[in-house]
Amino acid sequence: MDGEKGKLLPFYIVIDVSFSMTLNDKLDTANRIMPTVTDAVAQAPILSDKVRFAVVDFSDDAQVRMPLCDILEEGVQLPALSPRGGTSYVAAFRMLRNQIAQDVKQLKADGFAVHRPVVFFISDGEPTDHRADWEAAFKDLTTYDKGTLTGFSMYPNVVPCGVDDADPTVLQTLIHPAGGPKPMRMYMQDKTKIDAGQAIAAMAEVLISSVLASGESMAQGNSGIILPPDEDLPPGLASYTADDDFV
Amino acid sequence: MGLFGPRSGSQAGIASVEGEAAEIEPGEVDHPDVNPLAASGPPGRHSAEHFDSWVGAFVPYAVGDPGRAATEVVPVPDPQAWHRRDSVFDGFVVGRPDGTPVAELRAASLRGLSHRSFGRTRQDEYAYQVTPDGRYLVLCVADGVSSGPRSHHAAEVAARTGVTLLVNALEDAAPEALDWDRLVGAVAGHIVTFARKRLPGGEQMDVSEIVGWMATTATYAVVDLANEEMEVFSASVGDSSAWVLSERGWEPVAQVKNDGAAVDSSSVGALPMVPSRPMPSQHTRVRAGEALVLMSDGVGDPLRTGEGEVGRFLAQAWRRPPHDLDFAAQVGFHRRSFDDDRTVIAVWPLRR
Repeated sequence: MDGEKGKLLPFYIVIDVSFSMTLNDKLDTANRIMPTVTDAVAQAPILSDKVRFAVVDFSDDAQVRMPLCDILEEGVQLPALSPRGGTSYVAAFRMLRNQIAQDVKQLKADGFAVHRPVVFFISDGEPTDHRADWEAAFKDLTTYDKGTLTGFSMYPNVVPCGVDDADPTVLQTLIHPAGGPKPMRMYMQDKTKIDAGQAIAAMAEVLISSVLASGESMAQGNSGIILPPDEDLPPGLASYTADDDFV
Repeated sequence: MGLFGPRSGSQAGIASVEGEAAEIEPGEVDHPDVNPLAASGPPGRHSAEHFDSWVGAFVPYAVGDPGRAATEVVPVPDPQAWHRRDSVFDGFVVGRPDGTPVAELRAASLRGLSHRSFGRTRQDEYAYQVTPDGRYLVLCVADGVSSGPRSHHAAEVAARTGVTLLVNALEDAAPEALDWDRLVGAVAGHIVTFARKRLPGGEQMDVSEIVGWMATTATYAVVDLANEEMEVFSASVGDSSAWVLSERGWEPVAQVKNDGAAVDSSSVGALPMVPSRPMPSQHTRVRAGEALVLMSDGVGDPLRTGEGEVGRFLAQAWRRPPHDLDFAAQVGFHRRSFDDDRTVIAVWPLRR
């Protein structure tokens, strides 16, 4: 029965594994994200009862490397990501839409209610597909009209994170929702301060702060994700809204 | 399993005497069983040298997966609310002025695992009062809105003052003629007055600012004790709920929240904001053998429509009024991810 088993907050960690990710320890650091998240969640029993994680990687195609799961459950295998090919945002967004739809449907069938899913999208480069294509795929992932009930009702909150050659003006368009009562933000490596590997480690910290803060926020009756305040960001990360300008 | 329940093996909490208990032959116990509730023989009466006269064991209730929080949360107090109790409960017989017992009442309000973990006080509250003429039992369950740091005060005012206002109103009006909008407006006014007096800088605050500090849902019920079949009049602001539990199962007196929503949201109406539309009130009856149950969403959320595991558990547990301590333990059942404050008032009409 819907919601009888409680309400879960699903996190999708989406990681670019194009060949450029092998530079600057980026992929090695990305591979340490989930073990770090697992350690943090293990220390937070209230939270660990209601968050689920999935890992998706993408290059020319996108693959679910860890299906949505309770990461403290015995037998969960944390994925080891390895590089392959280009940077298709289209593949990532299409995969996410299908996977989120399938996961939410399954969770509901299993008796859970579901908070709006959260996507942390980590990329180090510009998309290799045409702009119109990835824009359309992103629109499919994030657009829902409550009036006409058309679009994707389980659309996620999206938090883009960019390092190295990721174009902030491109990633900025992936902040979702961009406005409204709970707008998301984008996190970028400040290249004058840290390298891309360090930036990915810092983004994992933001992810963990966000997971923990969301857990405490749910305890205060709120629904879904909370991002940490900018003053608490690890050094070397810059945080932007959808409205910020880039000179 | 549970307080005073049948012993079911190795999960005993405070009584760790099972190894010894297993050595006792029933015939060895030479004094009467002091606990008539112990269903499967006297557990743990034995020490090395002699028989003691105590029985019992506490095992927390769990429905399905209890979750990690049930065992791993380290409870800490709220440094802002030293004088507010973690948990409270009551259990007694409601009588007419001539002493005739007419109903059993059980009530419990427990600080949720989440508030225990994060060091915040219980924000739920309940209150009850019988009118001076003994005719009506007035009940309230209030659930302070979590985002307000002082919402427990709003819940206290809504419960205690609200019940008193209803008792006063019933001096002049029959329950079917109660003006619920006026009542709720008056309760909201009391919350605002309290906030302006007690919040830092509160004198200047308007209602929308006060709501950020303290807000609460409230479900009120007036039970007419005149007959064995009791009439119940109720109204709610927000998502606390009222139910009748009978052999047919759980039947909501008011609408159940989130029926059919695609993705759940947690927005609720809450005092001191008053509903913009006239309050719908509900009318129902509760008979001997049934129970009227008011609950906060800490219980209402896992109960959902009452048709699942939690519904079956509580229906069985509350077929008859349990021991008051057992009732509190039942209200506090563990179930993974359900870590909110829990509050229930239940009333069982007695056969006359």
